[in-house]
Order: sequence, then structure tokens, then C-alpha cells
Amino acid sequence: MLNSILFAALLLFSPQPPAEDVPKGQAAYRSNCAFCHGLTGLGGRGPNLVSHPKPEDEVKRIVKQGVPGTTMPSFGGFEEDELTALAQFVQHLAGSAPKDQKVTGDAAKGRQVYAKLGCANCHQIGAQGSTYGPELTRIGSARPVHYLEESITTPSNDVPPEYEGVTVATADGRKVQGVRINADPFTVQVRLQNEKLRTFVIGKDAKEVTRNTTSLMPPYKLPKADLDNLAAYLTTLRSDATSGQAKQAEGIK
Amino acid sequence: MRLATYLMLVAVSLPAQVTYERIVNQAKEPGSWLTYQGDYGAVRHRELNQINSENVKNLRVEWIYQTGISGAFETVPLVVDGVMYISGGDGTAMALDPRTGRQYWRYKYNMPKDAKLCCGTVNRGLAMLGMRLFLTTPDAHLVAIDARNGKQLWDTEMGDWRKGYGATMAPIAVKNKIIAGVSGGEFGIRGFVDAYDPETGKQAWRFWTVPDKGQPGGDTWLADSWKRGGGATWTTGTFDPQLNTLYWPVGNPGPDLYGESRRGDNLYTCSIIALDPDTGKLKWHFQFTPHDTHDWDANETPMLLDLPWQGQNRKLLFLPNRNGFFYVLDRTNGKFLSGKPFFKQTWANGLDDKGRPILKANTEPSAEGNMQCPGLAGATNWMSPSYNPATKMFYLQIRENCDVFFSAPPTYIEGKPYWGSVFRGVTDDKERGRIRAFDPLTMETKWEFHYDKAPWAGTLSTSGNLIFAGDEDGYFMAFDARSGKLLWKLNTGNRLVTAPITYQIDGRQYVTMPSGSALLTFALPE
Repeated sequence: MLNSILFAALLLFSPQPPAEDVPKGQAAYRSNCAFCHGLTGLGGRGPNLVSHPKPEDEVKRIVKQGVPGTTMPSFGGFEEDELTALAQFVQHLAGSAPKDQKVTGDAAKGRQVYAKLGCANCHQIGAQGSTYGPELTRIGSARPVHYLEESITTPSNDVPPEYEGVTVATADGRKVQGVRINADPFTVQVRLQNEKLRTFVIGKDAKEVTRNTTSLMPPYKLPKADLDNLAAYLTTLRSDATSGQAKQAEGIK
Repeated sequence: MRLATYLMLVAVSLPAQVTYERIVNQAKEPGSWLTYQGDYGAVRHRELNQINSENVKNLRVEWIYQTGISGAFETVPLVVDGVMYISGGDGTAMALDPRTGRQYWRYKYNMPKDAKLCCGTVNRGLAMLGMRLFLTTPDAHLVAIDARNGKQLWDTEMGDWRKGYGATMAPIAVKNKIIAGVSGGEFGIRGFVDAYDPETGKQAWRFWTVPDKGQPGGDTWLADSWKRGGGATWTTGTFDPQLNTLYWPVGNPGPDLYGESRRGDNLYTCSIIALDPDTGKLKWHFQFTPHDTHDWDANETPMLLDLPWQGQNRKLLFLPNRNGFFYVLDRTNGKFLSGKPFFKQTWANGLDDKGRPILKANTEPSAEGNMQCPGLAGATNWMSPSYNPATKMFYLQIRENCDVFFSAPPTYIEGKPYWGSVFRGVTDDKERGRIRAFDPLTMETKWEFHYDKAPWAGTLSTSGNLIFAGDEDGYFMAFDARSGKLLWKLNTGNRLVTAPITYQIDGRQYVTMPSGSALLTFALPE
């Protein structure tokens, strides 16, 4: 409730961009940001930009510098006026966007679902769990709820390139799966489920290397309550583990 | 008599000089590399076979020269009379011993501290004439350097960096002139090809690649859009001494991705122009992509070959274009002979009998984004192809990529980016690539080798039945020219972004390829 009041207040007092600048910021947004944050800013592979809008200067800073420790790169190529138009467009989206999806589940129960399903066998929260799959320490602030739910039920719908799977037919006749970290015409670098790093040289220790077309994560068909609770738990994971990294990157210890 | 003897002695003791005749007859001295593409026609084939498909498996690093200069290292060295000359991206030139990699001298251009550079600090190499080297600078100057000691002899401004001009290309020496071009096609420049006097640096002629209103072609630009129409000349052209004709590729129109403000064909952008090297007069032109809106410039290599076309020996020009088509022209008159796609393209239903693309509907960049193939960087780009007269195959590096093209009306501000949209779209589609060997007359594929990523390196052919090429993962590779079998490779540790050369000194053949900030030279064990 407090949130929506703040939200309304922000709407009232945030300066509206001059009409003629909207298309300019929109073009910049669509070509640079929409791929991860969605056409309307509701998020996807990147966080929701409109549920907790940031001040214009903060948006500009993030665009210019990126967010260290995340997949948000720095976009250094903008002229100052383009950057301003872009930041204003993001705020414009916040003003016109539909409300974010409500979280209905019980986070405490969701935590039990997380444990029961063995999510930590592949994912890490803080220091707990495995480095095999994407880290979830602050996934609640990094991804919108609809994306989290989709990632649980149909993970193959969106596989970020850094977690693409690969299947290696080894020289001794085994099939090994892992995360394709890097590759070239002669080798592939793989993170195995036991968290070990391994390079396969094609023709030596690998007969064939095939890129997986589906996610390494299996789809989870959960009872609705379990899914809601798990999503609710994941949205609470907002511990700002990377802010320390960000400060280090800026030289502040 | 005494004077004549004295003059003869001086002539004997002077270091040899690069003359126009030597460059024309480059094939007679395969051990040297006298001009950017290795020969005026950019065939990039050398009759050197000490290193060959039998023994290339023993090829090893002979020496490494570290330039200490960061950024893409795109130079193509010259090797002349026992000295190698290279350029760095930041206005540096260096002379090295080609057998050991030891440095003789190093020149550094004094760049204005406040210069805003349109096109980064990149340089593709030097031209040489007499005992002088010629270097373009990131702020669009042309400088002459004494090849004996690295001293600067003159410095001429080609274009004003404040107006968006820059330069990255290797100039070429043609007769008694130095021909050079400029970058800045994304910054609202008006492009040109220039010729300079090698002695004084005085401009001999200028050909504007975007004509003035009232000049031929001026009516292909809406209103005054020609004034910032682009048409950069950021790569090196080729030359036919018999026809006395320069063939210069011209860049994209500006703004790149927004065409409404420049309705019309936008001559001579995305074209090849044939110029008289003595006067700079236009002999003919051929436009590959009229009114381009995808940054598919024509700054690829116009290779000159004399081959039988439909049974008749003809002087041909081959250009693998960024737009995805491989063109064959008659270079005596610019007549279109053939143009076929060499990679997946989504924008044209082929070409008509004049070579003009038959456009598909809805291929234009838009506010919402429009996915088209090839992508913005093209199905190939400035990286040099090569041709082997023994195998009769053309060796081309292909970039397999598509992009989402966005468009928005830009505001022109002098010296600022003038794209017509902010950035190209981000997509998940992996860029892939390959080298393809094919018959350039029929386009029949002979062999291919697939890379993991879209390449930026060129190719080199030798009579040792070898093709040298490189990829984005840093592998420098040698292929059997006939079969395409990979015979040798080395992981150089950095992406490869230029074309290799080969030379021979004291009976020993070398191959050189830049990687990272290092110049790597290879030879067989002695």
C-alpha cells in the first residue's frame, strides 16, 4: 500500500518529458533496453524497470556505467541529450505501465519447496548451493515474478547465452552435459554439474559437440500453491550481494 | 666524367626505392610486399612455395614484436628491400628487421589532445613511394615519413575532425601520386577520394563521392541532404595500370538507418567508382545498393582479375558486397555481368539485368525494429579475400549474421554521430562465420571451413598450395588450397582482425600476422 502511494506520488511529481523527445528516447529504449527489460519495461531477462522507478540521474548513471557483477553492460555511446531522453522515456514508461503482477504465495513455504526440490543442487543463494546454474542471491530484484514462474515451469522459453547447454560425446563413448562457457572451432569449455571446469578438444577427447536446444534445467510441473509459494520466496531474494562489488569497482572498500 | 662517376656511386650506395614500375611488376619480386593489398589488383596471391602444403605442419613462430599499442591491430605490413614497415592504430609507424623483428625506428604522429575521433584509433597500413612512407592519421591527416629514419617530412589535413572526418585506411601510391580516403560515414561527413603530391603533400585532385547540386548525380539527393551525405572512402581501392583506372569503393549514405531525409538513390554511396588517377575524373560508376538504409556500404575489396567470361577473356572486377551479393563487373566500362547471393539475405528478390536490387516489401528499419539479413556489419566486410590462379578459386571470409534495424529521424550536429537510430538492436542470434573457396565465375562452392564466430580477418593465397586465414577466436590457420583440409593452426590468443602477408629474404620464406598488440612472424625451422 505504501508502495502504491509512493508510486502515485512519483507519477504526480516526476517531470513529464517534452512530447517531441518521447520518440527519441523510445527509439533508444527499443533498440537497446527492450530485449532484456521488455517493450513496456515490465522486465524479462532483466529487472522490471517500472515497479520501483529510479530517479533520472540514477537511470543515466546505470546506463552509462552498467551494473558490475550483473549482466547489465555499460552503454557508453550515448550523447548527453540522448541519454536524458532515454532516462525520461523510462520514467514515462513507469507512468503508463500496467501494475506489476501481485505476489500471492507464502515465501516461508516457498523456501521449503526450494529445499524439497533440491534447487541448491544447481543454484546458489549467498554462499549456499552450486555454481552450475544461475545464481539466485538477488533474483527477486533482478527478475519480475512472471519471468521467475516461467523459468520454473518452462525454462527452455528463455535460456541466457551464458547458461546454454552443450552435450559432448566423449572419445570413450560417454555423453557429458554441461554449461557451454566458451567455444571455438576446435574446443569447447564446459562447466560440469559437479562444478568442475573442463575443456574438450574435438577429435581428441570429444567425438562430437552438440549445442542443446533446450535448457539444462528440467521443466517443473508443480501444484499451483507450490509454484506460487516458490515464486514468492524467490521474490524475497533481494539481498544486495553485488553492491559490495559495485563499491569495490568504484574504489570504495 | 668525374661527376657521372660520382652520381653512379651515390646511386649504388643509396638504399633502393619503391618506384611505380616496381609496384606494377610486383609479381616479378614475390619476396617483397610493396603495397597494401600486395598487388594493385588485390589478388593477394604469392608465388612463394618454400612453405607448402607438405611442410606447413612444421611452421613455427620465428619472432614476436610487441607494439605496446592497445586497440585493434589492423596493419598490413610492407616489406621492401630488407626492411618491414608497419603502422599502429594511434598514428604510429615502425621500421623492423623482417628476419628478427628488431626495431630500427619508431615514428609517432603528434595528435591534437582535444581531437574527437569519429572512428577510433585504427590503421590498416602504409603506402611507400621512393624512400617515403605515407600514413593516414585518426584525425584525417596524411603524413609523409622518411623511410630511412622515421622523420616526418610533411603533414597535410585531408578533412577536419571537428566536422567528423577521420582516417583509418592504407593509402596507395599510383604513378607520381598518393591516393587516400577518409572515414566518418556515421558522422555526417561528405566523402571524397584525394590525390597528393608525394614531395610536397599538396593536393593534386579531389573527387567528391557525394556530388554537389547541379553536378551529375546531384539530383539523387533530397534538398541539401548531400551536404552531410556520407560516402566515406575508408578502405583502399585497386588500380589497373593498363586501363589507367582506379577502382574505389564508396561507403554508406548518412544518416545510416533513416532514409526519409535523403530520398533518392544517393549517388555515389554504396558504389564502386572508376577514376582517372591523373585527373580524378570519373570514368564510370556502379551502385550496388541504391538508397541504402542498412549501413551496407561498398567498402569491400574490388579484386581485379582477367578471366574468361562466357568463353571470352575479359577484364573483370569482383566485389563480395556487405549486402550479401557477390558482383562481377566488366571493369573497362562498369557493365554489370552477374550478382548472386553468397549468404542468406532477406531484403531482395535478386537483382535485375542492370544489377539493381529488386526490393522485397517491409525490409526498411523501423521504430519497432525490423530483423534483416545480413546484419549491419554485412555478410563480409573490409577483410581481404584472395584468389589462386592455379586452383582458380576465390577465398572469402563470410559473416553469418542478422540484425534488428531501428530507425528514427536524427538531428544533424557537426562532428556528432549521425546514425538515424541510436544503436543496432541486440539479439540472441549467434553470429557465425566460415571461409568459403569457390569458383568466382560460377559461384560453385569448392570447400568451406566453419568458424564459431563471424570473422574479421582476411585471407592470403600462396603457390605452396596454401590459404592462410584467421578467426575471431584467435586461430591463425593454414588450409590446403585445393581440398580445404586444415593443415596447421596456432591459437594466437587474440582475435585476428587483418590479413596475413608473406615474404622471402635470404632464401627463407616468412608469414606475418598481427594479433592483439603483437606482430607474429612464422617460418619453418632452419
